[in-house]
Amino acid sequence: MMEKFKEWYQKRHEYAQEWKNKTGGKVVGYFCTYVPEEILYAAEVLPVRILGSHEPQDVTEPHIFGMYCPFCRDCLAQGLKGRYDYLDGIMIAQSCLHIRQTFTSWKLHIPIDFSYYLPMPNNVQSKRALPYLTGELRVLKEALEKWTGRAITDEDLNRGIEIMNKSRRLTRELYELRKQPNPVLTGLEAMYAVVASQMVDKNNYNETLQGILEKLPQRPVEKDSKIRLMILGSENDDTKFLQMVESLGAIFVVDDHCTGSRYFWNEVTPNQDPLEAIASRYVERVPCPSKDWPERTRMEHIKKLAQDWEVQGAIVIQQKFCDPHELDIPATIESLKQIGIPAQFLEFDVTVPLGQFKTRVEAFLEMLREEDLY
Amino acid sequence: MGAKYKTEPLKCWDKAKEIRLNYYKNFATAHEKGGLRWAGGAWSFDAIPAGLGDDVYPLTGEPYGAAVAFNKDFALKCHEAVEKAGYARDLCSYMRNYWGSILLNKYVFGGEFPKPDFIWQDHICCSHAKWYQVVRDLEGKDIPMHCIDVSVGPYEELTDNKLDYVVGQMHDGIEWLEAVTGRKYDDEKLIRAVHDHCRSESIWAEVCALNKTVPAPLDEKTMYSLYVHGTLNKSSKIVADFYEELRDEVRDRVKRGIAAVANERCRVMSDTQPPWAFLSVFRYLEKYGCVSVGSLYTFGLIGMWEIKEDGSWGPRKTPQEEGIEIKDRDKALRILASWELNKPEWQHFYFPQLKSEMMIRIAKEWKLDGVLLHYNRGCEGLSLGIAENRLALKEAGFPVMSFEGNMGDEREFDEAQTMTRIDAFMESLDFEKDVS
Amino acid sequence: MNVAGIDCGAKNVKALILEEGKIIAKSSVFSGFDQKAAAKEALDLVLKDAGLKKEDLSHITATGAGKEEVSFSQGTITEVGANAKAINFLFPSARTVIDIGAEEGRAIKISEKGKVVDFAINEKCAAGAGTFTETMARALEIKLEEMGALSLKSQKAVPMNAQCAVFAESEVVSLIHTKHTKEDIVRAVHDAIADRIASMARKIGIEKDVALVGGVARNIGFVDSLKRDLELDLLIPEDPEFSCALGAAYAAVEKAKGG
Repeated sequence: MMEKFKEWYQKRHEYAQEWKNKTGGKVVGYFCTYVPEEILYAAEVLPVRILGSHEPQDVTEPHIFGMYCPFCRDCLAQGLKGRYDYLDGIMIAQSCLHIRQTFTSWKLHIPIDFSYYLPMPNNVQSKRALPYLTGELRVLKEALEKWTGRAITDEDLNRGIEIMNKSRRLTRELYELRKQPNPVLTGLEAMYAVVASQMVDKNNYNETLQGILEKLPQRPVEKDSKIRLMILGSENDDTKFLQMVESLGAIFVVDDHCTGSRYFWNEVTPNQDPLEAIASRYVERVPCPSKDWPERTRMEHIKKLAQDWEVQGAIVIQQKFCDPHELDIPATIESLKQIGIPAQFLEFDVTVPLGQFKTRVEAFLEMLREEDLY
Repeated sequence: MGAKYKTEPLKCWDKAKEIRLNYYKNFATAHEKGGLRWAGGAWSFDAIPAGLGDDVYPLTGEPYGAAVAFNKDFALKCHEAVEKAGYARDLCSYMRNYWGSILLNKYVFGGEFPKPDFIWQDHICCSHAKWYQVVRDLEGKDIPMHCIDVSVGPYEELTDNKLDYVVGQMHDGIEWLEAVTGRKYDDEKLIRAVHDHCRSESIWAEVCALNKTVPAPLDEKTMYSLYVHGTLNKSSKIVADFYEELRDEVRDRVKRGIAAVANERCRVMSDTQPPWAFLSVFRYLEKYGCVSVGSLYTFGLIGMWEIKEDGSWGPRKTPQEEGIEIKDRDKALRILASWELNKPEWQHFYFPQLKSEMMIRIAKEWKLDGVLLHYNRGCEGLSLGIAENRLALKEAGFPVMSFEGNMGDEREFDEAQTMTRIDAFMESLDFEKDVS
Repeated sequence: MNVAGIDCGAKNVKALILEEGKIIAKSSVFSGFDQKAAAKEALDLVLKDAGLKKEDLSHITATGAGKEEVSFSQGTITEVGANAKAINFLFPSARTVIDIGAEEGRAIKISEKGKVVDFAINEKCAAGAGTFTETMARALEIKLEEMGALSLKSQKAVPMNAQCAVFAESEVVSLIHTKHTKEDIVRAVHDAIADRIASMARKIGIEKDVALVGGVARNIGFVDSLKRDLELDLLIPEDPEFSCALGAAYAAVEKAKGG
């Protein structure tokens, strides 16, 4: 039932190329979920998120020093290997320094028609962030107009908002189904859905997901109850890992990843000035740790997710060398502990040692089952 | 081939040392005199808290972290304490040295670790605001914190909207300072501090520009002990006056042909913070008659530059020199923000090419034979884009040697291997060791 | 004229004598704890083999990590410089030299005249070096010499991330547990090292022709992986582990001639 998402994820390049052939439109690859896709949809440009391929690679050493995260290097490798040659543009919204280098090296070495750096504020807790970002979105809108040769009206922006909001609402509905005692979808399926939504035309995604949501509640479920897990941390599309864990009698019921709930959680609340409405959404969304200061607002959100989805244990993962997440991990584990949720920490690389991780996850699940018993 | 030039120690050396030690002492003893202590970064706009009074003392985290790194044994204890507390060992090593000092409750300059009254931070890299967020986890959430985000893009693309964002946070910061300290804010003191801030940074650039001379009057190892004042408290009159004195002395050295390295025959620059526990690397270079005349790091973290009429790089004119009169708070803040966003060692956060261009300029104007790039595992901010800088320098025809290390965590530096690498690099540039 | 080159490496000391530019004798001795003594032993052996006395040598140049330990040498050269000289003599068309020793991997870009243009050396971690292969052979419970042939029998590529020897070892163990064949795992190990080496070589920019030296060049499985990764053929000297010693000997010739 959910195979379409997996197919889109696996055939992301074929999809984008076909979309281009069919529509004659432009495709922009983006590096961070702070990129306001609403404005790209308003410009009738297709935004696709650039992710890695989880293969060892040896082409980025001349460009990115090895102390930066494997994810940012994996993404650049995709570009250097020519897998994204169909892109018309690239775009980043300011977040961490790691992925920023993927953008700058891409811009330096891979010919591209359009590249845009949105200086998204980091101090999202300051009242100055909203007017500032609103102003910067105006500059972005003008840059897109100049590039596409087509004016972006308020009507276009509202259309962009509606497409994005619809996709957020539908994905949220999908996540709601995971609250059931025996969820009708696995964590792996949910992951495929979210990452696919970052790679395909949201109109296609919305239509497909709507159809699935009509049938999914009737999907037969296994009788045996599984250990309910949450997975959270930095960028994660390690499908092999999720598959391994879910083969051990556990199920992921919710997550906090930018390839998961963090991406779609908040909607835009429309107002008179659509750019300000969009800016407001990105300032107020569940933050990436790189923007979560001086207060750690994400912790309350994580606790609420864990409680609302009745999580028994959490797997906290982090891309090797991801500084923003490393800076939040002790606080995250502590927050989960406060509400009685044990956490297992794992460091991810481009490929993960599945055997070794399996042993650790098995031990963790064993511990959770014992807790269940008493 | 031995000594070619006259050399002599710096006359102002002892004064440099005294100012630095007084700074750390003043912070520790501030409360004894009814003063206030604040903690924050070397990028922090220290001219702003200066408006609270003359008895407000800062402790900037990065130079403190470097001071710890210099003390290998203590640094190792800090790292172990931080790892035990659950923090990753690949995080910024200055930050880990600082947290370690809190966890061990030891100030590297003696006594217990002094807790700040408030945190006045800047956010330049992913770790900056988070650094002090963790400080509050460790020292107490009751410590008020204000942090200014300066991430508005490169100076060449600065617009009013961007400047308003930074200046707005500064205005909020002043209101916040009044609220958390209960003190009345003095705009006159702010204006004076902004003047001294610009004076310090312009004069430091002037000192560095004097190093274009052959033989170089200063070597980078010595410069580290001098530029540090700008990272401690650049807006203070003490630092600005000291830099004037230093500049006069370096001018005199140039006039008299005094060299930093008597056998100078090879000139290089480095990049990023050095591995502090291994400044011996610079002494080793001297065996080849090689002097590191500076780096974009030593020139451009504190120094402010501009392109002069002849097209070369020189100290940026201060607002006073430009005849700009600062009459009120808003003007002072706008000038301060725009001045700082022009910092050379900041532009690379947006595009490595901006840094490469400045490095190539230095390589040409300072007459370099090669470049040593420290791929610094201790600092994700200043190592940003370093691999691209390497490619650009090579493309421009400058030989480059890169070596990995860590400014504050000696476990990630291989001294013997680095020396071997230097041997190979010097051999490839046809420089031979002096026979001792 | 006779000269000697001594390569005092981390694992072995290699000595070589040139007579009018031709190799007449070679020796290799385990370094052990006392490099100084090992260097002496290597020299004695090579002299004996050549039927010469130390006085017959016009010049001795030392190279290698322990070059300063070679008390009887009259000059030193780095491994980078030595390799450049040796390869320029052996393969004048080579512009890139890849040298994989026990503890260190290097990539060197050389000019037509054998001058070093740029070089890269792997960092502290030994994942790009000979010792790494040995560790993996141990984890797989096979002999180091068997690895090459086994690897060539592999049917499929298994991705393995070898950022660090310790992690790689645990990855090998998990590959064993997930029922991959030994052949495929050995190839995965070779691919992983080739990946590290190619990555380092790309840093200096690979220019043809490319020569491969160092003991690991004898491992046919690794050579196959590296060729596939770089998508080009490799020039390998007859005695790849003697490349540094040979370069040191050429440096000795230059010194002896230049005075």
